Amino acid sequence: MAHQKIDTYAATLNPEVRQAVRSNSAAGTEKRYEVLGSDFGNPDPLRKLAGAIKQHTIEHLDQYLEQAERSLTANGVKVHFAVSTQDARQAVLDILQQTGCRKVVKSKSMISEEIHLNDFLEENGVESVETDLGEYIIQIDHDHPSHIVKPILHKNRRDIAKSFEREGLGDYNDDPETITRRARAFLRQKYLQADAAVTGANFVVAESGRMVLVTNEGNSRFCLAGTRVHIALIGVEKLVPHDRDLAVFLNLLARSATGQQLTVYTEFLSGAALPAQPSGPREMHVVFVDNGRVDTLASNCREILRCIRCGACMNVCPVYRQASGHAYRSVYPGPLGAVLSPMLAGKGFAQLGDLPKASSLCGACNEVCPVDIPIPDLLLKLRNRAKEEHLPSPGSPPMGGFALLATAPMLWRTAMHAGIALDLTPKGLIPVPALQEWLKIRTLPAWRGGKFRSWYKNRPAQGKDRQP
Amino acid sequence: MSHRDQIFQGIRQAITALPERAAYPDYDTAAVTTPRWLPAAEENETLFRKRLTGTGGFFFESPADCAAWLKKDGAKSVYLAPEVAHLAADFAAHLEVVPAYTRDAVDRIDAAVTVAHGAIAESGTVILTDSGTPDRLAALAPWWHIAVVPRTGLVRTIGEAIAALPADPGIVWVTGPSKTADVEGILIQGVHGPGRQGSFFL
Repeated sequence: MAHQKIDTYAATLNPEVRQAVRSNSAAGTEKRYEVLGSDFGNPDPLRKLAGAIKQHTIEHLDQYLEQAERSLTANGVKVHFAVSTQDARQAVLDILQQTGCRKVVKSKSMISEEIHLNDFLEENGVESVETDLGEYIIQIDHDHPSHIVKPILHKNRRDIAKSFEREGLGDYNDDPETITRRARAFLRQKYLQADAAVTGANFVVAESGRMVLVTNEGNSRFCLAGTRVHIALIGVEKLVPHDRDLAVFLNLLARSATGQQLTVYTEFLSGAALPAQPSGPREMHVVFVDNGRVDTLASNCREILRCIRCGACMNVCPVYRQASGHAYRSVYPGPLGAVLSPMLAGKGFAQLGDLPKASSLCGACNEVCPVDIPIPDLLLKLRNRAKEEHLPSPGSPPMGGFALLATAPMLWRTAMHAGIALDLTPKGLIPVPALQEWLKIRTLPAWRGGKFRSWYKNRPAQGKDRQP
Repeated sequence: MSHRDQIFQGIRQAITALPERAAYPDYDTAAVTTPRWLPAAEENETLFRKRLTGTGGFFFESPADCAAWLKKDGAKSVYLAPEVAHLAADFAAHLEVVPAYTRDAVDRIDAAVTVAHGAIAESGTVILTDSGTPDRLAALAPWWHIAVVPRTGLVRTIGEAIAALPADPGIVWVTGPSKTADVEGILIQGVHGPGRQGSFFL
């Protein structure tokens, strides 16, 4: 029998990788649960509030995006807009060329993964170096992140030690501390040599134009201390209305992502560095990127635009834990990715239309979501869309026969009576491949067809029951 | 049509099609974001010390204590920001004091003492600003960073710190030493920023 693509991938996964993904994501879920529980008891009021603020924001996005543009401009920031992947890449390249920048350091940003910025910059003669430790390892391995917060969840220390040796960062050594020290020594030279920093943003406040950027390693701070031009690539949905809303989101983001009260470095940027400040960008650019978000806003899955990219949904997901991030064949894995990736794919929906089926609809992703996105509901809507678009559905048994029986009472009754024949038939001889597959690991119970039907017909009427 | 107009037109079309739109929720920041363990009676200073230590940071009773610890922990040279230049004698007793921080000193100067704008007690966070920090690099590149906290700049909660964000283009909250758990989930301190983060009050 044909399998879903995600199952096919999961079956080929190295057992060591599966174990690492499973234990690391489970640990993430545990930490989140402990911290939110001990700090807030029941975190639901806070999650639901954050969700309501984001839902309000995306449903008034025209107003807030315009306000953000005005605030940023008043802060001296140059604001650009990009509709597609190509537009966003080109916008970055244009800024780099206009400002004479040849070397770029990058702080982890999922949107730059979406548009494959590094490859594009390299093709155009710009050196672009990832500075988050995990992302740097991804870059030298020509690999892709398998988790949005922990990009190298699928690699072990020996893989990394080999890559460092290959890149000339010292002899083979798989001690995590040594690996980190070597990256520290190498990357700080890159910060100081670079002309421009490319970052994402976690939040942009419409009323003040403040941009918030969080990292644990301090790499984004170093990017913004070493370079003279700052370019921030930001999805149009990243807005929050007011500065005060940041208290709500910052109290949720790190706790949900890594179980910390706050991420180590939380930066609030509202423009280039002060003239008196010797280190830091002299100019700042913001590129607001659509890349499928506006279409998502127009769809019945717009709630996914509330997402603050904490990764809690993938940590808790039984399918993600079993399949790992690459199984989702897109930048965003896990339950978030199963909704967002096919949506952002636009005309390519058909290629990722199977992802919404990669879920048991257990609902854990909704329960842990810091902005309370009803992910299972969105998955169902997308399954429906895949059906309406007649996408192939491998792994689902053919339902035509059942549909015929279920809509014709006469046929149903006959089938219920005839079913007894199953008890008399050697099961191995029934020529239905799906049934044979099923029977490999299960046995059929004795036929009881028609029992419910006859009970339902003969049950006492409800009114009679209630009489004393 | 420009990219900007195209995006705004798409957003307006999507939004006007909605039967109703979610209102901005009314909320009280302190009521929803204050951790339930936050002790009502404990002073901010005591709380800050406790929380800073909890993040892997260090708290010192005095500049002299700090200087002695830096030496013991392996630092040889220290840069003192102009605002704390008057503490030079305390540090000179243990370390070589460097009066200026320059870009080419990134790997040469072991430690830096800078002045924070303030701090957040509930999270052990120090608040640095562009106007208050002499050089972004000085507070980031050395292995040891000491952020001196003015007692008047200490607030209790994250919510209060957000409500009092200074008008500065480059504010950074630092909560403990630079960290990663990218390699097999093992916690390593001192990735790009300081491996040791400390504070004392002034």
